[in-house]
Amino acid sequence: MTGQTDQQRGYRAVSYKEHSDKDLVRLCLKSDERAARELVERFERPVFSLVYRMVRDRELAEDLTQEVFVRTFNNLQRYDRSYKFSSWLFKIAYNLTVDYLRKKQVKTISMHGSPDAVTPERQEATSLSLESDEESPDAMVEARELAGYLEDAIAQLRPEYRTAILLRHVEGRPYEEISDIMGVPLGTVKTYIFRARRELRDLLEDRWDEGDEE
Amino acid sequence: MNTNHQARTRHLQAEELETLAIPGDHRLPARSSAHVADCERCRRDVEELQTLHALLQALAPLQPVVGFSDRVMQHVRLPLPWRVRVLQAVRKHQLATAAAFAGAAAAVGVGLTWIARYPELTPMTIAAFLVQRFTAFVWSGVMEVGRFVYGSGVLETAQGIAGQVTPVSAFVAVATVTLIGLASFRILLSLMEIDPALVTSHLRLRRRVRG
Repeated sequence: MTGQTDQQRGYRAVSYKEHSDKDLVRLCLKSDERAARELVERFERPVFSLVYRMVRDRELAEDLTQEVFVRTFNNLQRYDRSYKFSSWLFKIAYNLTVDYLRKKQVKTISMHGSPDAVTPERQEATSLSLESDEESPDAMVEARELAGYLEDAIAQLRPEYRTAILLRHVEGRPYEEISDIMGVPLGTVKTYIFRARRELRDLLEDRWDEGDEE
Repeated sequence: MNTNHQARTRHLQAEELETLAIPGDHRLPARSSAHVADCERCRRDVEELQTLHALLQALAPLQPVVGFSDRVMQHVRLPLPWRVRVLQAVRKHQLATAAAFAGAAAAVGVGLTWIARYPELTPMTIAAFLVQRFTAFVWSGVMEVGRFVYGSGVLETAQGIAGQVTPVSAFVAVATVTLIGLASFRILLSLMEIDPALVTSHLRLRRRVRG
């Protein structure tokens, strides 16, 4: 009996993984909690990554990401199925984060932690953890250093530029979807991305030149 | 020949550079690729974009803490089907629900008792009476609107204008309004620094995505 239940559970788990986002939304509207969990697990990483790179504080990013999902599920009946679910979710994440940044007037935060972090523990909690697949310690240090410069440079961009370039180059979202997410015309998205690249190029100029020399 | 020459000599646009720098489904015409081979500036732009894209792609993947989805699920309230919502409301407001049911039952009882006093009232005669009253109500509404339009003199004014309009003046008026509309739209786009070609391609893509 227990074996059969486990088998049933396993079958259901696999079937939820295979569902499309829109099917999962339909199930959520029928109060299916497993479908909601699948959606959370499917999108927690990209949403968290975007929010984290916007606010640069792990605890805050987790709180905001949680709020994004809560708002999404609370307003699920308003979701227009002619759009991609991920676009709608990112739109909520973008609006919530930008609202937060506007209210708090947060502009730039170093990769070494939030400027509000007054204790070493708090600095540790708010700093970025960088990972690398490199095996050599030197290469790892170099990769961490470069990633740090890049994260710092991204943090110095305007929130709109930051969102646009992260969605385009890190999440690989097409321009039209970014336009829907940010609620701005396609031409504006292209301008944001163009300017963001130019600013990143300028901010990383020293590192860039070093790379060219090598 | 001339077009080919222009394509080979002009520098690549931002979108063309991206198509070359970032691997994807899109492909550039051979002449644009050939231009990059000859042009130092465009080659440098493509390489820079490739480097930036590679750097951004290599950024460390960020994960929330383990068990984050459990934490989120504790705060999520999924929309309930209407039957469940009604049952919950009934359970929550038992007294009010009971009073509402009692009131409704009393009203139905009084109505049935009243009907029972008149044996000539069958379901068919009641239905016919209701249909007749509803039709009369709608018809009186239509008549009121008609009286208002006639009384306001709108019809006479329209007839007066129609008598003076020739096909040519109608065409000129429509064309002028259309041109003013298009010009205003172009001015608006230029103020917002939007390329009009992008608007049409955006609308086309939107239609495709929705379709």
